[in-house]
Amino acid sequence: MNEQHIKQQSVLHAQNIKKSYGTRGNVQEVLKGINLHVQKGEFVGIMGPSGAGKTTLLNVLATIDRSTAGTILIDGDDISKMKDARLSTFRRDKLGFIFQDYNLLDTLTVKENILLPISLGKVKKKEAETRFNEIAEVLGIANLANKYPHEVSGGQKQRTSAARALINEPSMVFADEPTGALDSKSAASLLKTMEDVNEQRGVTIMLVTHDAIASSYCSRVVFLKDGMIYSELYRGDKTRQAFFQEILKVQGVLGGDSVDSI
Amino acid sequence: MFSGVTALTLFDLVVRSMRKNIKHYYLYFFALIFSVTLYFVFATLQHDDSVVARSGGSMGSAFAVAGILLLVIAGIFIIYANAIFLKRRSREIGLYQLIGLSKNKVVRLLMIENVLLSSGALFIGIGVGILVSRLFLLLLMKLIGFDGVISVSFSTTAVVQTIIVFMVIIGLTSIQMLFTVYRNTLLNLFNADKKGEIPKKPKSILSAIVAILGIALVVFGYWLSGRMLNEMLFFNMLAVLASTILGTYLLFRVTIGWVLYKIRASKQGHLGLKNSLSLATLMHRMKGNANSLTIITVLSAMTLTMLAVAYSLYYATEKETRYALPFDYMIEEWAEGHLTDEAISLEQFESELTTAGIDYTKTKLELLAVEGVYEKGIFPAVVGPRQFLANSYIVNASQLQEAGLAVEIPADGTLIYHDALIGKFVKDIETPFEIDVTSSNPTRTFKAVKYGEGDVINASAGSQLVVNENDFEKYKQEMVPESMEDVFEEWIVQTVYALNITDKNDLAQASHIYTQNCDEGRSCGIDYYSMYENSLEGSGLFIFIAGFLGLVFLISTGSILYFKQMTEAEQEKQSYKTLRQLGFSKKEIMRGIVRKQIFVFGLPLAIGLLHSIFAIKSASFLFVSDITVPTTIAMGVYALIYLLFAVLSVGYYKKTVSEAL
Repeated sequence: MNEQHIKQQSVLHAQNIKKSYGTRGNVQEVLKGINLHVQKGEFVGIMGPSGAGKTTLLNVLATIDRSTAGTILIDGDDISKMKDARLSTFRRDKLGFIFQDYNLLDTLTVKENILLPISLGKVKKKEAETRFNEIAEVLGIANLANKYPHEVSGGQKQRTSAARALINEPSMVFADEPTGALDSKSAASLLKTMEDVNEQRGVTIMLVTHDAIASSYCSRVVFLKDGMIYSELYRGDKTRQAFFQEILKVQGVLGGDSVDSI
Repeated sequence: MFSGVTALTLFDLVVRSMRKNIKHYYLYFFALIFSVTLYFVFATLQHDDSVVARSGGSMGSAFAVAGILLLVIAGIFIIYANAIFLKRRSREIGLYQLIGLSKNKVVRLLMIENVLLSSGALFIGIGVGILVSRLFLLLLMKLIGFDGVISVSFSTTAVVQTIIVFMVIIGLTSIQMLFTVYRNTLLNLFNADKKGEIPKKPKSILSAIVAILGIALVVFGYWLSGRMLNEMLFFNMLAVLASTILGTYLLFRVTIGWVLYKIRASKQGHLGLKNSLSLATLMHRMKGNANSLTIITVLSAMTLTMLAVAYSLYYATEKETRYALPFDYMIEEWAEGHLTDEAISLEQFESELTTAGIDYTKTKLELLAVEGVYEKGIFPAVVGPRQFLANSYIVNASQLQEAGLAVEIPADGTLIYHDALIGKFVKDIETPFEIDVTSSNPTRTFKAVKYGEGDVINASAGSQLVVNENDFEKYKQEMVPESMEDVFEEWIVQTVYALNITDKNDLAQASHIYTQNCDEGRSCGIDYYSMYENSLEGSGLFIFIAGFLGLVFLISTGSILYFKQMTEAEQEKQSYKTLRQLGFSKKEIMRGIVRKQIFVFGLPLAIGLLHSIFAIKSASFLFVSDITVPTTIAMGVYALIYLLFAVLSVGYYKKTVSEAL
């Protein structure tokens, strides 16, 4: 496909997103008006100190939570106006998810877990099988198909989770701290794979992380602070190392919270 | 002193934790209250004056036996509920230890809690029991056909008995708690709610053999249950029980897992949401569930059988009484002086009936004693080796018809064979067979063409051969009284009068007249109505006790399944969250869960029903009449109440899924 053409297509279009929690008199505004556009094929990282609203933003964009104000278009559909049942279908058809805790179903094998999202759709068994083989190959878990989650390593679990996120060929994949529970080697390997998937298959990914190394794999990093967008960095043609240094600098200015979860 | 302070804080902790964990407590609390209430009601009835007075000691001892059964079930139920309760709280128990409470203190904390909960349950349970025991007494009296005014008195004995019994049970649950704290490591406690096994690939050949063995054992049990009635009856019963129960266990432990594994393997990973939520989770818990599912299935089968038999007995009381006593009254025409003090003479009875304005019909019947030999091998072994006719009469079919009995008139040389006593065992006796009558000259051979329902004369101790007028007269001529050595002389030719009351509503009054000379509580001169009342008392008591125990079994098993499902729902909450995040709607998730519930609740019920159907079939010799209707009703009611628990369980899952995201 024409790269120029891809760049012009907007997958996610969020305008003035606000989200507050609490009841009258004790309202806490977590997101204070966020504008964010993601083009097709982008690999966007969301960073920020804890309490900045990273996960809230991801949940709102990923249709898991509802925003208090603002409009969100994904693939041209306004998700802020959809009913719950319609949102469910939308998530299943258009979105993919990777969670920090993998969230695999313990009772299902790796293959069964991966095929779950397309189990109710119109995907034929043969087509599903093809997709599974292809994705399992890319993620290097083809030989684990019949193993149960408890029988494989953390990195392999997260790859399974990633494969599950990709099986329905989503418009966008949301990843919430996917490397949070992994050792550095597994983390690097997973991020490399995600980078490959992004580059070679043109999958749009949004990655929420507090880890500068993880976000250095992205093509763009958005920094949040106190519910607002603080700044943005584009990787462009820079090496990952150079990009990493840049991210560190912004992080330093932001409050140097690289130890946020501890 | 230090300890005073500690006790206070411990107590505070108890109160706080109870207030916060109401959700966890109410389940155990409910189990306690439920058991206390039912036990108390039972104990109250057991000691109630009107119940004891109704039929002397027999009712009391029936209650005592049932009370012990009730106690065992209540005990098991409470201990099981406590086990689930402890498992759900194991993390909390671990946490107390983690923050530095010694094991002793944790135990003390749990004990205080247990005593508080139990005394609360005892108090509430006995209170509720006092309120509802009157209801149960009314029901019992109605069932045994007592119409008088009844009042239930508050029984101190029942209260004391209930308190003592539940103190023992509380002691047991306390020991259980002790074990949980002392025998578990912290790690165990923290991981207790994460348990779930990994379904292993069954070793194909061995599993297949054992899986089929499970089915084979059950089928063998069923097969044998239809062929038990021989000399080895007791051994056969044990074999049927053992084979069926072991088969059921294998069914749950191996066969079902094996079948599920085969189905799953055939899907090649394309499991789908519904199966992911039913088949996969079931396989994960099959091993742990095998025991409880087996127990629940066997208990259900027992309860269903007990209920169906009890209800059938109750339902058939009238019919069964009629089988033994086809006429309302049958009065023999005794020679003067034979009349005993207690019985009433025909003349007196008739005159008093007329005085009372009760219409009746009277028919004269002639009974001719008969002796003879049966054709060999007609009767099943269970009846015993019957060779000769004993205590038997030849009866004239035409006279019986005149007396209002619906009998056929057999052809010359043939007879219809009646014997209510053995009738239960010989429903499928093969006809025709031959009977050689030896008490006549010349001897004659009759062909018994049909096995007739019940007796044709009241209170007979032997068989009746119903023949047509022609054969009857012929036998009367040819009969040789001297040849009948075993028959009293005056019984060789008897004339009796069959009396039927026209309006059956007058029966009570008529029987009152008939039994006026009898002592209180003794039945003399057996009449239909007194007999019916008597049987009703027995079968009414039986259905009451069976129903009471059945209800306890039912609610216990249903609750255990429900509690288990509640725990499972909580353990799987994260899965539901994930599924909803992945974009599956509540409805779609619920469909899978409902499928699982159908399996979890439906399978024990279905297998239990099947077991009980075969059990009832093999016990059908107890009944002369057809028991399809009462059996179906009893089973239907049971299934309906049982399925309520499935509905509750689905409701709980629904709530869990809704709250998951």
